[in-house]
Amino acid sequence: MQGFGGCPGSNMQDFRGKEQAAQEETGKRQSQLKQWPIQLHLVSPMAPYYEKSDVLLSADCVAYALGDFHKDYLKGKSIAIACPKLDEGQDTYVEKIKSLIDDAKINTLTVMIMQVPCCGGLVSIAQQAAQQAKKKIPIKSIVVSLQGDILSEEWVS
Amino acid sequence: MEEYLNKGIKEIITQFPTVADILNEYNVGCVPCNVGTCLLKDIVEVHNLPPDEEEELMVRISQAIYPGREIKIPKVERKSKAGRGEIKYSPPMKKLVDEHVLIKRLVVLIPRIIENLNLESEKGRRLILDSVDFIRSYADKYHHAKEEDILFKFFDDNLDILKAMHQDHEKGRAHVRAVIEGVNKRGKEAVKEHLNGYRELLSEHIKKEDEILYPWMDRGFSIRQVGELFAKFNAVDEQFGDAQEIYERLINRLEQEFNLKLSSKLGTK
Repeated sequence: MQGFGGCPGSNMQDFRGKEQAAQEETGKRQSQLKQWPIQLHLVSPMAPYYEKSDVLLSADCVAYALGDFHKDYLKGKSIAIACPKLDEGQDTYVEKIKSLIDDAKINTLTVMIMQVPCCGGLVSIAQQAAQQAKKKIPIKSIVVSLQGDILSEEWVS
Repeated sequence: MEEYLNKGIKEIITQFPTVADILNEYNVGCVPCNVGTCLLKDIVEVHNLPPDEEEELMVRISQAIYPGREIKIPKVERKSKAGRGEIKYSPPMKKLVDEHVLIKRLVVLIPRIIENLNLESEKGRRLILDSVDFIRSYADKYHHAKEEDILFKFFDDNLDILKAMHQDHEKGRAHVRAVIEGVNKRGKEAVKEHLNGYRELLSEHIKKEDEILYPWMDRGFSIRQVGELFAKFNAVDEQFGDAQEIYERLINRLEQEFNLKLSSKLGTK
């Protein structure tokens, strides 16, 4: 069910009719989170787990939409999360990502966002930081649908 | 059929010549390859055909090998996820593809260079030696070194496809040595022959890398490896300083020279 017009980011949608997975999962799945904190305002680019790592910069909603977020995307990476629509002080975000690139000398940056238009801001923040950074690194953008499908996966720098 | 999946393609073509025509029909360009040691199963995987086309190809090859018999087609294992449509390279592989563009610009000029070959004049010899300098310094030391010293090290040295690439590089180097010898001995025919040899070799070699080898490699890279490769290529770029700009200027100059010559020729007609 879909209701209201306006901003697709806050447009109400009901997925309850979506078919459930045929197979019931058993056993516990291990968390792949290897650090704390994770919110971009709170993290320090100088934290040891960022040094030379592959960093996942994820929009807040991604982990809720994507069933296998830990297994398929977080595993083996350090993380920072942010919301380009609601978070304040996003200039700091550019500086922090720039510092991750130049000071922590991260290996790659993967930006995961939702398909809603406002989420694209996170990719722009990452690209802005990358342009200002001295070191050049590969940046990948992954767009996730509201129901947890991968819509696109591409290198943006 | 399993037995033939693990055989070198040249051996299969020698034994069953119709396989060559079948491969050509599916744009699998292994037929003119001088090495031909790549295994049939690797060739099928590397070329990443759509599943229906791959199945059709395998059925036709099996019919060529076992005429009149119904053969069970074994599934070719894929080490990496297949992509579809336009080739999208990761940033380090895109860097190599971009370098190919400059090399191809010289390759395209070779017929013009041959047409205007004059080994008796200092200017004529300089033109060849400048082209040779581009091939040796840019195409070989700068570009092929990135492949041989960095990229190929991410894979098993014994892969036949990599052996074939190494052999292409060696053949290219041999052509260049022969061109220099030709210039020194004022041997016009030898210079022509080896410049042409280089042109033919590189045209095929670059096509194989851009369309088959690089996409296959890219499909298998982890994000960690992409970052490492990118950093290593950047280190080579720093080491070579402004090589890219210097050699781009050289190619621009050569293009301008020959375009001017061409338009002046056209003008006289």
